[in-house]
Amino acid sequence: MSKSDPVNLKQDRRQWLMTSATVLGAAVLPLSGAATDALPSETQTAQPGAGAPQTVGDAKSGARFFTPGQHTLIEELSETIIPADSHSGGAKAAKVADFIEQTLGESTDDQQKAIWREGLRLMESMSQHYNGKSFVNASAEEKIAVLKVLSDNEQLTELPEVQFFRELKRLTVHGYYTSKIGIHDELEYKGNRVLMEYVGCNDPTPPTT
Amino acid sequence: MAEPEVDLNKKYDAVIIGSGAAGGMAAHVLTSHGLQVLLLEAGKKLNIEQELRSMEWPYDNAHRGGLPPGSHSLNHNEYTIRRPPYGPGFEKSKNLYNYIGNSDYTKNIVVNERDNPYTGTNYAWVRARCLGGKTNIWGRLALRLSDYDFKAKDRDGYGENWPISYSDIAPYYDKVDLYLGITGVKENLPYLPDSIFQRPTKLNCAEVTLKQGIQKMGRVLTQYRAGVTTDGLKHNKYRSRCYGRGACSRKGGCDIHAAFDSPTGLIYPAMDTGNLTLRTDSVAREITVDPATGKASGVHFTDSQTMKDYTVRGKAVIVAASTLESARLLLLSKSRLYPNGLANSSGHVGHNFCEHIMGPYVAGQATDLVGKPPTLDDGRPGSFYLTRFRNLAEKHPKFIRGYGFEGGSGSSMFPPGTDSSGFGASFKEEIRKNQGSYIAMGAFGEVLSRYENFVDLDPLVKDKWGIPALRFHYKFGDNEHRMAADMKETAQEMFEAAGFKIIFVSDRVLTEGWSIHELGTSRMGNDPKTSVLNQFQQSHDVKNLFVVDGSAFVNASCQNPTWTIMALCWRSCDYLADQLAKNDL
Repeated sequence: MSKSDPVNLKQDRRQWLMTSATVLGAAVLPLSGAATDALPSETQTAQPGAGAPQTVGDAKSGARFFTPGQHTLIEELSETIIPADSHSGGAKAAKVADFIEQTLGESTDDQQKAIWREGLRLMESMSQHYNGKSFVNASAEEKIAVLKVLSDNEQLTELPEVQFFRELKRLTVHGYYTSKIGIHDELEYKGNRVLMEYVGCNDPTPPTT
Repeated sequence: MAEPEVDLNKKYDAVIIGSGAAGGMAAHVLTSHGLQVLLLEAGKKLNIEQELRSMEWPYDNAHRGGLPPGSHSLNHNEYTIRRPPYGPGFEKSKNLYNYIGNSDYTKNIVVNERDNPYTGTNYAWVRARCLGGKTNIWGRLALRLSDYDFKAKDRDGYGENWPISYSDIAPYYDKVDLYLGITGVKENLPYLPDSIFQRPTKLNCAEVTLKQGIQKMGRVLTQYRAGVTTDGLKHNKYRSRCYGRGACSRKGGCDIHAAFDSPTGLIYPAMDTGNLTLRTDSVAREITVDPATGKASGVHFTDSQTMKDYTVRGKAVIVAASTLESARLLLLSKSRLYPNGLANSSGHVGHNFCEHIMGPYVAGQATDLVGKPPTLDDGRPGSFYLTRFRNLAEKHPKFIRGYGFEGGSGSSMFPPGTDSSGFGASFKEEIRKNQGSYIAMGAFGEVLSRYENFVDLDPLVKDKWGIPALRFHYKFGDNEHRMAADMKETAQEMFEAAGFKIIFVSDRVLTEGWSIHELGTSRMGNDPKTSVLNQFQQSHDVKNLFVVDGSAFVNASCQNPTWTIMALCWRSCDYLADQLAKNDL
């Protein structure tokens, strides 16, 4: 897919919605959060040192919402929204997926939960359509290409995949910039210590009379 | 701090209803005069040492500072589309809060809307039932009024003048400044008198650019005048000076109480005199009246937890329950002597209800600051205030009265700019590099005091304690809408004059009530036929009854009211103590 081609999302989605029916059987993404058919090995490779059982267990007990496979997908999606760069770690290092999982696990909003479940399914269909492979196995460029389709069509709020993208971005941003990495490493926030004086700006304006 | 038990057999010198800015101030002044005072608060006694968590890191909070599941805070659309008491559509939320109760830092301070219904026209009614009320989370902008406000009728012919002049209240503004602490810069503006300021904080570079840019238009930008002690207060052991530590934009109070709140600023010191008895969880239902004398005899209240009813007695009753709750309580206090409610022979209780209109704003960027190292901009108690400029020397052709802008700029704990489009590496980098360059300001304008804007009691709906709910009959008028259109235009022209890159300009007016500056429901005046209170906030009808909160305002002006509420209250309570000593009530 060429980067310069704007995607007509409404036209495109007919195709990947059709293909999704056949892909689904092999997809790592079950419709139900309680399903057990995720692939632990894949999860562990995706984030060494923070394997699925521990990662999901980080969220409060009873707050589990995603299967390990879905959790890995959220990690990859959120990292695509806020990636690691030379300045600081990204969403994955900031454990944004844990925050999202806890938020949804505790949520009493069934509509919000449905947007996420459906959204993850549609992400997989879109990745198969545009890249011919599942999202977690796609390259960074391929992942960006999928999300760019949604970002470019952010105004089509009636589409479930766009609703999902907006929710994904909202919770990723919130989770990241309230994390230690986001506040201290990325933004270098100076607060919570005693400052002798606020630096401010020299004001050459003569006082009002 | 000893907490004496309430004595139901005792006749207190004064019973105060409400513990916010007004009730706290009344407690301070009256106990200083040696009077025996009972303070009733409808809400709980929060442990504010633990509750106000201005410096908690979000990652140390169970929900990153957000509301826990099962709680919901009303958003703007819900105020306009749904109707209070917010039944259908909100079943999933056990706790339903007003728009300020949208975080873990504010939810315990505001009321649960379900227990406290109200009806009528749209109104975002923000109520905080707890010791200290809304002062625990107030915006801290502490401004004086001037004779441009007190004598506004002389200038444009509209409404009524106040029964006082600036010279009457100026000494009391000084007392409030010195007792509570305020930071700012002297500007010598006749329409916005200076306070006795403690050490000011500096403007940042975007603010200086704006200040210079509008100076040629004859407009004034000054440091946010915050009710915050920057030098400390030797007479108050409960409050520390401001250390500029950050997260001051979080609506969660100040954990070292450098920002004024009524408990540490007024009520704890009043308790230390030994003259104050405090009873929280006490929901006032009625001010009782002695049928023989026609005077107020005390307060009938319900314990909010046990539902038991009590009556306490006082030589004077001081209503400080907030502008709208005070009106409700007067209207509830009907008797054979006072069939229209207490202090209401004029029929003006609940009327002349006014506030500030807000919503129009501009957001922009000082592009020369992009990429500069971040500074602790939200460590300041506030950013800037752009003072009123309409209808001072020249008359505006389309509306009367004026408006000022509250501004914010620079970096903050949660970064600005996250609502921009896109994602990925460039999205992240732009948030980082732009964080110190943003600047925005929104206007607060005077809503004219009109008899037709009023509240009364709903004939059917009652609150959790069986007390009739308040019903709103309140709308902005044409003057306000014309003013709002002008707010947007001037906001834009000033940002253009400063050379900012403009990101967004809006003339959208927020729902009535959004400013949380409700005023005027028992206005002062010299004529008992058209006013409820005299210049000392004393009822014309019932001499030992005072209403010392924002109810007494004759007009809203465009300045934030808290400092004026406290100065007026101090003046009235000095008078009350004097009258009580002379046995003249």
